[in-house]
Amino acid sequence: MNVSTDTAERERIAIEAVELARNPGRPRTLQVIAEAFTEWTELRGDRLFGDDRAVVGGPALLGSRWVMVIGQEKGTDALSRAVHNFGMPHPEGYRKAQRLMRTAEKFGMPVVCLVDTPAAHAGIGAEERGQAWAIAQSLITMLELRVPVVSAVLSEGGSGGALALALADRVLALENAVYTVAPPETCAAILYRDAGQRARAAAALRPGVATAYDIGLVDELIPEPMPGAHAHASLCVAALRGALIRHLDELCAKDIDVVLEERTRRYRRAGDGVAAPA
Amino acid sequence: MDRPNLPVIGRRNAAHPLAAPGPKLRPVAPAGTVECRGCGRRFVAARFEKHLRVCPDCGRHAVVPALNRAVQLADSATLKVVRFEIGDRDPLGFDDGVPYPSRVAEARQRTKLQETFVVARAAMGTVPVVLACMDFGFLGGSLGSAAGEQFARACDLAVAEGRALVAVCTSGGARMQEGIASLAQMARCSAGVVAVARAGLPYISILTDPCFGGVTASFAAQADVILAEPHARIGFAGGRVIEQASHDRLPDGFQTSEFLLAHGMVDAVVDRGVLRETIVRLLIGFSARS
Ligand SMILES: [Zn+2]
Repeated sequence: MNVSTDTAERERIAIEAVELARNPGRPRTLQVIAEAFTEWTELRGDRLFGDDRAVVGGPALLGSRWVMVIGQEKGTDALSRAVHNFGMPHPEGYRKAQRLMRTAEKFGMPVVCLVDTPAAHAGIGAEERGQAWAIAQSLITMLELRVPVVSAVLSEGGSGGALALALADRVLALENAVYTVAPPETCAAILYRDAGQRARAAAALRPGVATAYDIGLVDELIPEPMPGAHAHASLCVAALRGALIRHLDELCAKDIDVVLEERTRRYRRAGDGVAAPA
Repeated sequence: MDRPNLPVIGRRNAAHPLAAPGPKLRPVAPAGTVECRGCGRRFVAARFEKHLRVCPDCGRHAVVPALNRAVQLADSATLKVVRFEIGDRDPLGFDDGVPYPSRVAEARQRTKLQETFVVARAAMGTVPVVLACMDFGFLGGSLGSAAGEQFARACDLAVAEGRALVAVCTSGGARMQEGIASLAQMARCSAGVVAVARAGLPYISILTDPCFGGVTASFAAQADVILAEPHARIGFAGGRVIEQASHDRLPDGFQTSEFLLAHGMVDAVVDRGVLRETIVRLLIGFSARS
C-alpha cells in the first residue's frame, strides 16, 4: 500500500469510528437511567436562570445504593433532540449539575455522571450567561466534592463541555465511544481552517476512547458486542450497570479523605500518559 | 499617618529571603517603530514600550509578550523568572505535515520561551507573588500538557512559599496537536487552583486579548478576582463558530471585556496604566488579616 492510500484508509477508519459513536441507536442517558436505576426522581432547574434539558438528573437507586445520577441527554428522535438541544448544555445545565452534586454531598450520596455530548453549546445566550464560567466552576466543584464520583462516557465526550461531568474518581467509557478535545469538525476548522476536512482531523486526533484510556483520563472500557452498542443497547447498559456498582463498592469502602486525596493527585497529573502508536 | 505593617500573605512575610530582590530583568526593547493597529499612528518602539504598549492617542491596548508583562507588573528589581524542568510532550505522535515537536521547537526559537507561560517570583507592592503570564506568541497561548504543568507548578510554588498567585491569561484555547491530553490540562490547572484556594492564598486573574476555550473555562475563570483589559475579546467558543452554528448576527461588542462586565462575569475592566496598582491594592486588602 502506498502512502496516500494508507492515509486515506486511516482517515476512513477514523471517520467511521466517529460515525459509529454517533449512531442514534446507542444507549442514551435517559435509557441508562430507566434500565440501570430505579426510583429516579428528576430534579430540574439551576435556581438561577432556567432549566436546561440537555442535562437531566436526580436521586435514584443503583442496586441497593442511593446515588445522584446526572447526565447529558441527546434525545432519540427529532422532537426530543430539539428539546434536549442534541445534548449540548448551556451554562444552566452545568449549574444544575453543580447544584445536584452539592445536594448529593449534603446527604452523602455518591454521584454518577453520564457523559454524552458533542460539546458545550456554542451560542450567544450561552456566552452571555458565562459558559466558560459555568464549566470552570463545575471542574472546581467536582474536585472538591466530598462524596465518590464515577463518570461514564456513553457515546460522545466532546470538549470542556464533557470534562465538566467527567472529573471523577473513576471514568468508564463504552468501547466505541469517542472522547475528544473538540468535535472533529471544530478541530478541522481550527487546524486547517476547513470544517470539511473532518476525516483528516479525526485521523490525526485519534478520538476513540482508547486514546483517552492510554492518556489516563479513562480507567475502564466497557466492551460492546459486535457490531456495537446500537445493536445491543440493553446488554451494554447492563454491563455498564455492573461496572458502576463495582467501582462505587470500591470507592465507598474507602475513607472520603483518601478518595479526595487520590482524586487531587490524579488530576494534578492529568494528561501525562502517552497514546499507543497509531 | 503611619502606614500599618506591610502585608503578610500566608505563613511568610515580605521579608522572607525568597522575596528578596533579584537582578533587574529587562525585556528586549524593540528596535525601530511600531504602528498602532487602532489609529495607525507610528511610535518609536521604545516609547511605545514605556507606555505599556497602550496607544497614547486612541488608547488601544496592544498585545504584551509574557516577559514584558511580568516586568510591567512586578515591583522594580524583584522579578525572578522560574524555569521548571518539564519534559517535552507529544502524546499523540501528531504529524500533519509538520511534526508537532518541530512546531514547538520553532515556537521556542522565535519567542525564546520554554513554553506558553512565563512563571516568576516577584513582589507586587511588596506582597510576595507568583506571576504566571501567558504568551500568545507561543502557539497562540494554547494549553498543551507542558503549559498545564507550568501553571500547576506555579500554583505549587505559591502554596509552598505562601505567595499570592497572579495569572495573566491569553489563549486561543486547547493545543489541538495534543488532542485529549490538552483537554486534560483544564483538570490539571483546576487542581492547581484548588490547592492555592485551600492554602488561603489570593488568586487574581487578568484576562487579556484574546482569551478563549479551555483557558477561559478553567483557571482564568476560577480566580478570587477576575480583571479584564479594555476591549479584550474573551469567551468560550469563538465568534466565528457561534455565528456559523446559530446563523445569528452577533450583537455589537459581543464577547468583549465590557460585555462580560455588563453580564457579571468579570469584576472590573482595568486600563493597563492602572492595572498594577489595582492588583496591589487588592493583594494588600486580601492579605491584611486584620
Ligand atoms: Zn492608536
